Amino acid sequence: MDLMFDKLKILADSAKYDVSCSSSGVGRKNNGIIGSGAKEGICHTWSADGRCISLLKVLFTNKCVYDCEYCVNRRSADSPRASFEPEELARLTIEFYRRNYIEGLFLSSAVEVSPDHTAERILYCLRILRREYGFAGYIHAKIIPGVSQELLHDIGLEADRLSVNIEMPTSKSLELFAPQKKPKQIFSPMRQITNTLIERKSLQGPGTMFKGQDLNSPLNYLTPDQTLSIGAGQLRENQNKSAAGEKTALVRARKKEVFAPAGQTTQMIIGAGEETDRQILTTTENLYHTFKMKRVYYSAYIPVVSSPLLPGPFTVPPLGREHRLYQADWLLRFYGFSAGELLDDDNPNLDPELDPKITWALRHLDHFPVEVNKAPMDLLLRIPGVGVLSAQRILRQRKARSVRYEDLKRMGVVLKRAKHFLTCSGKYYGETNFAPDSIRNQILEINDGVQISMFGGDGSGLLTAGVERKKVEHHG
Amino acid sequence: MVDYLYDETFEGLLTCIYHHYYTEKASGIFPKDAYQSTMLGGCMEIETEEHKAVTVYEAIEKKISSWDLKRIYKVFMSSTEQKECKILNYVRLGFVKGPGIRLLHGDPIVFPVQEAEQKVNAEVHRMKGLIRFSELEEGILYSPIEPDHDIVEFLARHFSDRFKNEPFIIHDAKRNKALVAYHGSWYISHFTKENLSSHSKEEAEYRRLWKSYFENMAIKERINPRCQKNMMPVRYWKNLTEFQL
Ligand code: SF4
Repeated sequence: MDLMFDKLKILADSAKYDVSCSSSGVGRKNNGIIGSGAKEGICHTWSADGRCISLLKVLFTNKCVYDCEYCVNRRSADSPRASFEPEELARLTIEFYRRNYIEGLFLSSAVEVSPDHTAERILYCLRILRREYGFAGYIHAKIIPGVSQELLHDIGLEADRLSVNIEMPTSKSLELFAPQKKPKQIFSPMRQITNTLIERKSLQGPGTMFKGQDLNSPLNYLTPDQTLSIGAGQLRENQNKSAAGEKTALVRARKKEVFAPAGQTTQMIIGAGEETDRQILTTTENLYHTFKMKRVYYSAYIPVVSSPLLPGPFTVPPLGREHRLYQADWLLRFYGFSAGELLDDDNPNLDPELDPKITWALRHLDHFPVEVNKAPMDLLLRIPGVGVLSAQRILRQRKARSVRYEDLKRMGVVLKRAKHFLTCSGKYYGETNFAPDSIRNQILEINDGVQISMFGGDGSGLLTAGVERKKVEHHG
Repeated sequence: MVDYLYDETFEGLLTCIYHHYYTEKASGIFPKDAYQSTMLGGCMEIETEEHKAVTVYEAIEKKISSWDLKRIYKVFMSSTEQKECKILNYVRLGFVKGPGIRLLHGDPIVFPVQEAEQKVNAEVHRMKGLIRFSELEEGILYSPIEPDHDIVEFLARHFSDRFKNEPFIIHDAKRNKALVAYHGSWYISHFTKENLSSHSKEEAEYRRLWKSYFENMAIKERINPRCQKNMMPVRYWKNLTEFQL
């Protein structure tokens, strides 16, 4: 047990910088011996940094043969090393799960010996869990770049969610910080996952971004020679490679097996390189459009190792920036915004003081005020202070009776912000003259002192196991 | 107009609503044990009668909807102030508006009920995560909780499916009742901690592993206790393994 104690410590310690802990996306009754999936995800506890703990998040091994600049586990770093045995990790997961400590397992890994060697051991562990223990809970498996198509496929049959880290928002940073990871090695598994999901008609896409579209049409298959426009001049797949080596996964479609029903996500580190928010958000949007991922996560760079290439050891992690990026990401996924609307040449970075929806509204005052008793859903969603849930309530109540100004607060609208941007049956309730500067100042005054806690309930997503979080209202 | 006093059962509450329509209009409905007579209109103690309760039950189902009936039951199980009066108002408006009542999100009668229901739903969701089982000697999983609202019943479906092959007890220590489940079936019963057997041999080890995992997960550069407490109010901590020795 003491051996286990140390192992868990080492292997959890290196996994904790991975931001995603979401257990959402699959609603499944107990079709095995123990476990089930909750569509909305469930948080089991919150660590002292305020992040939700939903899954047992560990590395399978941290004995790495790679040498990524930003990573504690890189070969040249002097840190304690350990690897799990497949059986012992499966057992630990079950014992934690029985006690309801966790919602499932998030298994990531360093590269021990080779990507395939590591992936094989991970696959073995997942099979013990699923087949011997009859585990029907949530499994998120991280795919190491360079893993063979067969292994990836087999892991996808055991896991609920797969992710391949894009690591950096631009190819320049990737080259600089993770020289052994090539864009092709990252995009090729991403593409395989998307194609397999299309083939099984289970690709869902992020939030409500593709609402009403058939993502699973064969037309959406990604071909290897297709340019993946991950940002103009940003991360771009190396195009001059032969497509011959890549056989499509189409052949192996065995209908009954479920492949990664909770879809695909990815993660990038921000603040290590010199990217602007605009580059980051454009890459994000391209990942959504190309691979139809469920989510893109950001992880504020934390100086865990010192390197001449990286920001110094005393750099404060850009948490505020990360928070604004999550807000912007939320606007992409649920509010019908595009990256180009939120940021442009004149405004390459998000306003640190105000949330991106307000900033956008202030730059587009000609769209406002919006009449809440007439406007369609997409316009309601553009009003700062009106979230998805309150917009739906407004629409529903309008069917029965018109919405009065007093009703709005009870519907979850944040009037302090919203009142500047709407009319209710023709009446405007903002107190100031209708000009960007005075509205901005008004809103900032309110924010002062009662500044919403850095990660408090505003769609940062780190805090909740849920992706959709239907029950919690976001006032975007 | 009269204040009705009832025995704090759901049937009792429905019986009061029956009397509101067939005996005398209610100025309010209150638990009889906690009632302090201040009203001028006087009060009347109502005896719970099954057939009257059933009449109201079915009327709500038919004239409003079964969805609203569930909503009303959840509000009844909540610890919201004056929940009986809120329910009475809701039912009265519901009989006028029919199933459309739920669309009136901003209405001053609908809102308090919607809000109370949301609080119950939120705590049920939260508890799905915050339940902590300990393994007892016989292999039974046992979890004490002290929820704000009377929710053990609403946890039954989730846990009895998830742990269908594990016998378990979720014990509401505040209300001396428990959800007892095995093999997918369950019941609610009166329960106290007496005679509970001790932890299994392995229990201490897994607790230690979990506690260490939990502490280790916090990234020190991001420490934010306020946020932690926001997401997980301190009143829940005492039953969480990760905060115990
Ligand atoms: S592959 Fe790179 S990022 Fe991953 S563990 Fe190894 S050194 Fe770290």
